[in-house]
Amino acid sequence: MSLFAINKVKKTFSNGELKEEILKGVDLTLREGEITALVGASGSGKSTLLTIAAGLQSASDGEVLFEGKNISAMNQEKIREIRAKEFGFIFQFAHLVPFLTVEEQLMLMLDVSETKLKKEQQKREVENILQLVGMEHRKQAYPSSLSGGEKQRVAIARAIIHKPKVLFADEPTASLDSKRSKDVMALIRDITKNLNITTLIVTHDEEMLSYADHIIKMSDGVIMQD
Amino acid sequence: MNLAFKEIKKNKVRFLILGSIVFLVSLLTFIISGLANGLSQDNASLIKDLPEGQFYMNPEAEETYNLSRIDSGIQEKLINDYQGATALSIQMGFLNDQNDKQQSVVFVTSTESEIFSNVKEGEILLDRSMEEKGIKVGDRLTNPQFSGEFIVKGFVDQTKFSHAAVAFINMENYKEIYRVNDMQLVFIPKENAPEEITGLQSFSKQEFLKTIPSYKAEQMTLNMIVWFLVVISGMLFAIFFYMMNVQKIGLYGILKAIGLKTSRLFTMMWTQMIVITITSLALSIAISQGFNIIAPEGMPFSLTFNTTLILSGVFLVIGFIGTTIASLQIRKIEPLQAIQQGEI
Repeated sequence: MSLFAINKVKKTFSNGELKEEILKGVDLTLREGEITALVGASGSGKSTLLTIAAGLQSASDGEVLFEGKNISAMNQEKIREIRAKEFGFIFQFAHLVPFLTVEEQLMLMLDVSETKLKKEQQKREVENILQLVGMEHRKQAYPSSLSGGEKQRVAIARAIIHKPKVLFADEPTASLDSKRSKDVMALIRDITKNLNITTLIVTHDEEMLSYADHIIKMSDGVIMQD
Repeated sequence: MNLAFKEIKKNKVRFLILGSIVFLVSLLTFIISGLANGLSQDNASLIKDLPEGQFYMNPEAEETYNLSRIDSGIQEKLINDYQGATALSIQMGFLNDQNDKQQSVVFVTSTESEIFSNVKEGEILLDRSMEEKGIKVGDRLTNPQFSGEFIVKGFVDQTKFSHAAVAFINMENYKEIYRVNDMQLVFIPKENAPEEITGLQSFSKQEFLKTIPSYKAEQMTLNMIVWFLVVISGMLFAIFFYMMNVQKIGLYGILKAIGLKTSRLFTMMWTQMIVITITSLALSIAISQGFNIIAPEGMPFSLTFNTTLILSGVFLVIGFIGTTIASLQIRKIEPLQAIQQGEI
């Protein structure tokens, strides 16, 4: 049994009488501990596939299997619980909580994921992760005082602090310049390898593909090349 | 982690502005309510401050107390049969002070009673507002219809009727001034009051107040002013809390995306609403109660702690409704929507 698999997933959007099929029966299995990159042109359906895989929207048809359980058939509360405890997210923008310091962002994630750690252990965990992403010197800073690259580092730390089994990253470098993009990708690769996190990344940047173990090309709602 | 307080701490100015609006609007409502209630007291504190009970008057008076006459036989029987029963009369009039200046008063007289102030013949007790007009204890006051003089024995607090100061006089003196032998009304405290007395029309305190000319119309106007203000203030509160939360849809979407429970978001919104409202209301209550003490002499202002608590309760409930409507909207947000909106 694979950790994460997608079987015959379809997604159709309706606009009045018009129906548009974005995903046309996609099959995908993520390799444990590896980085899988989904690439394709705009409108190919890669971001839709990632958000369905992450339980952020439902599929019109098909299965999303996490540890053998079909999460697309689960109720919202169950999906929320899986998102909080088992998944990590990095978005195109850092989407940090504006009124929390860097340290508090990470403490909140530990709180949300209901880790059994005591307060002191949580603090230690935060220190370790911040060291890993090179942000330990900014732990009392608020997002408004961080640069784009720093924010994305904190977002990465937030996505992995609770040790998720699967990490989803949707264009994590899209808002960064070329140098910062490479730094962030290298960081994602190093961390996911060290922590053995299965990762699905959506990108349209060819340069970023060198950081992936496995590349899947999508076009017009179907997987073209695996 | 208490997200509600963390946000308040970080965005002090934003919450301070919202709190100031709640404070100013509630203070305005409290002050207007105090003035309206003050006017109401000024109109009828003689009756309003009585203990609960029943008034009886002659049905032929057609609910006009000063046309009512209680037969002395019936009066005697009622006083003997019902403990605390008091016969009384109320009549507009005037007094001439030592400088021969006319002062409008309401003469009130009653049989021996624990509820109404009783005085001996030739003595008079006045509402304290007369003190501001230069009348002192021991002054001698006259009335053209009265052969003698009234010696001022003292002053009583907050005793007004039809916006005029009440003057308690002895029944014999009253009879001489108004050339009457019968009293207008009988009052019996609630615990001893029968529902009906043959030959007399019965009124509760509230019903009797409505028979006072102008009282009902004045009260309706004042109540309308206060309740319109409460409704408009309440709606303002609800809209402000609604807007405050709807503006944060992006943030709530992200929090939902990382797995925060919707119930925790609700708690966060309610906590912020309660903290802002209670802090602002507490300040409003303190200032309006302070105003109660420092209000200029002669300004009819009466704001009981009870009234402020009721109004505060109304504001809290309305604020809660506004926040809850916003939170229902937030419950429906798809985390994806928020993520696609871009950076918060």
